[in-house]
Amino acid sequence: MSKDFKPEKSSLVSFSLMGPESGALCKVDCSDGRITRISPYEYDTEYTEAHCRPWKIEARGKTFRAPKNIPLTHFGLGYKGRVYSPNRVLYPLKRVDWDPKGERNPQNRGKSGYVRISWDEAAQICADELKRIKETYGCEAVLCQSDMHGEGKHVAPSHGCPNRLLSLMGGYTLQMRNFDSWEGWVWGAKHVWGCEPVGEQTPQANLIPDMAQHSDTLFFWGCDPEVTPLGFGMHMPTNLCYWFTELGIKSIYVCPDLNYGAAIHADKWIPVLPNTDAAMQLAIAYVWLTENTYDKDYIDSHAYGFDKFVAYVMGEEDGVPKTPKWASEKCGVPVYTIKALARHWAKKTVSICHGNGGSYIRGPYSTEPARLEIMLLAMQGLGRPGVHQTKMLEWNLWAQYYPVPYTPEFSPAVPHIADPLHPVDGDVPDEINMARFRLSPVQEERAPELKKLFAPLPAPKQFIPRCLVHNAILNGSAEWYGLQVFSTSQIPKEGNYRLATSRFQFEKMVYPRPGLSKVHMIWSSSPCNVTCWNDGNRFIEAYRSPEIETMVVQHPWMENDTCFADIILPVCTKHEMNDIGNDMSSGAFVSIYKVDPCIERRGESLTDFDVCAKVAEKLGPEYYDAYTDNMSEEDRVRFFYKATGCEERMSWEEFSDKKVFVVPIDKDTKDIPAGLYNFYKDPKKHRLSTPTGLLEFSSTHIEQYMPDDPERPPVPHWIEKGEMHDERLSGERAKKYPLLCMSNHGRWRVHAQCDDVPWTREIGTMKVRAKDGYQYEPVWLNPKTAKERGIEHGDIVKVFNERGTVLCGAYVTERLIPGVAYVDHGSRLDPIDPGKLDRGGAINTITPNSITSKNATGMATSGFLVEVLKVTDEEMEQWKRDFPEAFSRKIDHAAGVCMAGWMKE
Amino acid sequence: MSKAFLIDIARCSGCHNCQIACKDEHVGNDWSPYAKPQPIVGQFWMKVIETVHGTIPKVKIHYTPTLCNHCDNPSCIPACDVGAIYKREDGLVIIDPAKCNGCKNCISHCPYEAIYFGEDLNIAQKCTGCAHLLDNGRSVPRCVEVCPTGAITFGEKSELSKKMAGAVVLKPETGLGPNVYYKNIPGRFIAGTVFDPVEEEIVEGAECHLSCGPRVWNTLSDDFGDFWFKDLPEGEYDLTIKAKGFALKLIEAIDTAASDVNLGDIPLEKQD
Repeated sequence: MSKDFKPEKSSLVSFSLMGPESGALCKVDCSDGRITRISPYEYDTEYTEAHCRPWKIEARGKTFRAPKNIPLTHFGLGYKGRVYSPNRVLYPLKRVDWDPKGERNPQNRGKSGYVRISWDEAAQICADELKRIKETYGCEAVLCQSDMHGEGKHVAPSHGCPNRLLSLMGGYTLQMRNFDSWEGWVWGAKHVWGCEPVGEQTPQANLIPDMAQHSDTLFFWGCDPEVTPLGFGMHMPTNLCYWFTELGIKSIYVCPDLNYGAAIHADKWIPVLPNTDAAMQLAIAYVWLTENTYDKDYIDSHAYGFDKFVAYVMGEEDGVPKTPKWASEKCGVPVYTIKALARHWAKKTVSICHGNGGSYIRGPYSTEPARLEIMLLAMQGLGRPGVHQTKMLEWNLWAQYYPVPYTPEFSPAVPHIADPLHPVDGDVPDEINMARFRLSPVQEERAPELKKLFAPLPAPKQFIPRCLVHNAILNGSAEWYGLQVFSTSQIPKEGNYRLATSRFQFEKMVYPRPGLSKVHMIWSSSPCNVTCWNDGNRFIEAYRSPEIETMVVQHPWMENDTCFADIILPVCTKHEMNDIGNDMSSGAFVSIYKVDPCIERRGESLTDFDVCAKVAEKLGPEYYDAYTDNMSEEDRVRFFYKATGCEERMSWEEFSDKKVFVVPIDKDTKDIPAGLYNFYKDPKKHRLSTPTGLLEFSSTHIEQYMPDDPERPPVPHWIEKGEMHDERLSGERAKKYPLLCMSNHGRWRVHAQCDDVPWTREIGTMKVRAKDGYQYEPVWLNPKTAKERGIEHGDIVKVFNERGTVLCGAYVTERLIPGVAYVDHGSRLDPIDPGKLDRGGAINTITPNSITSKNATGMATSGFLVEVLKVTDEEMEQWKRDFPEAFSRKIDHAAGVCMAGWMKE
Repeated sequence: MSKAFLIDIARCSGCHNCQIACKDEHVGNDWSPYAKPQPIVGQFWMKVIETVHGTIPKVKIHYTPTLCNHCDNPSCIPACDVGAIYKREDGLVIIDPAKCNGCKNCISHCPYEAIYFGEDLNIAQKCTGCAHLLDNGRSVPRCVEVCPTGAITFGEKSELSKKMAGAVVLKPETGLGPNVYYKNIPGRFIAGTVFDPVEEEIVEGAECHLSCGPRVWNTLSDDFGDFWFKDLPEGEYDLTIKAKGFALKLIEAIDTAASDVNLGDIPLEKQD
């Protein structure tokens, strides 16, 4: 550091953690080869004022202006904790008792620990195993786990590089991402209103200004605008929420917890028991039907099947009218509050805000609250000014026009070198398959240098939805409904129009496909199934199955599924590489930026791209050449920039110097009708993508394909229990497990990322340091729930059901409804008895195994039964005697679970 | 010339950016002669305190960012036997890490608990107002720079005073002349919901009349039956609730000395 405290250099780096897009940028100062400071990126306002048309929203005499910088999140600010984490994997590692030429000891995965090996040896083992598995069983015997939500980077993305190499080898079995975060919307709401690709409202154009002008009340239904957007690098929803309040718009939060948004923005908090929203929604419909307070004319012209819905709500179908009293017993909200909410909604102009849905839309039978929400919006004239379903994050996603007026003049698409979601050829028509990860014709024209690197690769021939991978491995087969479970997210055509895909949900699928092998090897670049997916303990069982001969993980950190790998390949962070970034919805403008490495790559870590190149090298020069096209990282940055189309506006030389190209705001988007206004005005001319083109209160697709499905009937129902799930307080299981467990996206983590950042771990809602000095994941309990169990704040407790036990630290708070235990998902695993007992607080280890419902291939990770009890000293001592090795693993005082705990030398 | 902080509690979202940015700036970075590195965890030169008010479902939260008050008459300076603590011309109070002998006197003399002891370095450590940055071209400390809502502002006290109407300092009774000012610290609330238990309906428009000695507050219940009295001083209150068709309801001796009071869901008795 020089005397005047100026950094030796500064780099621009992404701080979004929602790959594949790199997202929001920040400034990273470095001196003496270390990162010294991470600060917000400030726009050159002189430039943006003159050239970029800064936007503003005007409503009710007040103005909301585009920010002058990109506000950082704590994720970005605390990232030194990630780069320098004691949990970093710095060298290639081999599981100590795994011998590819002898005993493999799969039963010891998650227990045995690691020794350092050379890159040469590691790459050779991987190449040899890939060849052996391919020769013995065929290409499909390798399962590639590689999808989404790691660090955002482009020229060497977190996810998809192994897919690229495996494609060159002839194929693999794809772990297909199920629609996590959108479960209920995709498998439910889509059948009501289409709204491709994920069943949340599209289009979102100009919704925020429209709400600011026309809405009286906003419902944040299971939505936390102070949490979910942060992972995408967005702080703007915070300021928008403050602004809505200034405008006199009421905010009503409906959720079991006083979430972080409700804590500061709510005018009214209605606590509801987890996963019981459908009961309250049905009662709201009942009040409107009996009091005639819905828009009958709108329903007549815009809806199909309303009579069947009415028959169910009024009890004509099953003899049970869905009265507020009926609902109150299920959802825990007083009868008079349900009625008041229904009347407020009918009287006022109401929009509903979401951070994709959160736990509200990720429980058992989540199709039902999702569908009912759209129907309630419909009964109040969905699409009319001020009546929308609005996303509070990811404004660029699947949007031709943004909900805030900052649609760019042109969209600078950065190519993706690797495709983690490459669909199986022939499963769905080409025009529907996800094309985001290919070089588009216009990109190819701009940067012909990339043509060879992006030569089309053969598609995998079979896939397993991620939520069924454990069962598929352990049962040796799997069946489900739904084709291309994720990749139906097509590129929009003119006018943001997408082809309908909901009919593909009714295709029966199998694994293995005829003539193709079962899985015998796993290669993962997204090792977080245990901590982020359904029934994590079953994943542990699958990873320890002798069916899996080899498990390779490439990752920067020793976390989550990584401790089950036989070979671990060290990956560097985004702060240690060249890249080209795109900030699509974090600040005031869309921008493209050049990332220079802040520091040298730590240890022997490599980018994800180069990790696979190492293995390609061992497979033979033909693989290496095809995989890399012998193009350097710097050249990929250069040509990727060319492909974005920005070079026509700013030369490479100027871009290399300025590091940022800010795209001007499109001046013509202000008059684009907000949301579904066109449909509202003329449903015949502006049809929805449902089969009838209307809002389907009874789904014509479900009527046609699965009319007798008791768990997702044509008209949404309250489903007390069914073949898939028995997770209600009314059930027999509730006698043993009497609490409903809720799990949100965490405030201090992005899924499983950033659990090791010491500075957030000091915050009370992030970790609870108990009397044994260990930082436990908090389980929130209402004082009443805690008192009934003799639990005090800070106690070590066990959260358990028949699927296993998770140790947590009691966080006793008035912020949660009684009868509920709340643990955020994504805390790192610290397996004591792998598959049975975890000390790290990975609540997903005990979430339900079953999918969303019988024919809906999503996961259910919130709203399930558990019991919470205090861990006695004797019990803890007994565990320590039973599992001495697990308890003796080193735990870092500041960062928790760490690499040193797993090393055997 | 004197620098001051002005913190608007009504705009603090509890994001903790200020707390984390302080660590980003000072952990592992040696800014001598202004400050030695902060240890990786355990010190909070900027600390966000969370306060939860009320009981379910009438619960609110407010966050208070706290830091060294850079007092006009700092108690830490005379407490230091070796003269390691000094007040700069711009008002910032600095502990000279080279002079500090680790006696800890200053720590016990600071009523704001803003000084920490660095075991490894054997020195007292605290907020410097990022003086090393202010002296080298930056206009605000890191905690201010990263606040996404503009809740924390920093500048010349004379400049800030324009925005300081109603601002208060913490522990004014110490008389040390603290320079961290707070706006919109919420007072106590008394809240509840009125309903008709027979019809299972909320009661809207009930006249809620609150009194504490000679002082009175009035409000009406809203369309959820809710009534709120916010920003009340601590004290003992009486509440009467008058609604057409219902018996007068009197709730006496509501004590807000210890905490906010959620009176819960209050049934009103029907009366002809």
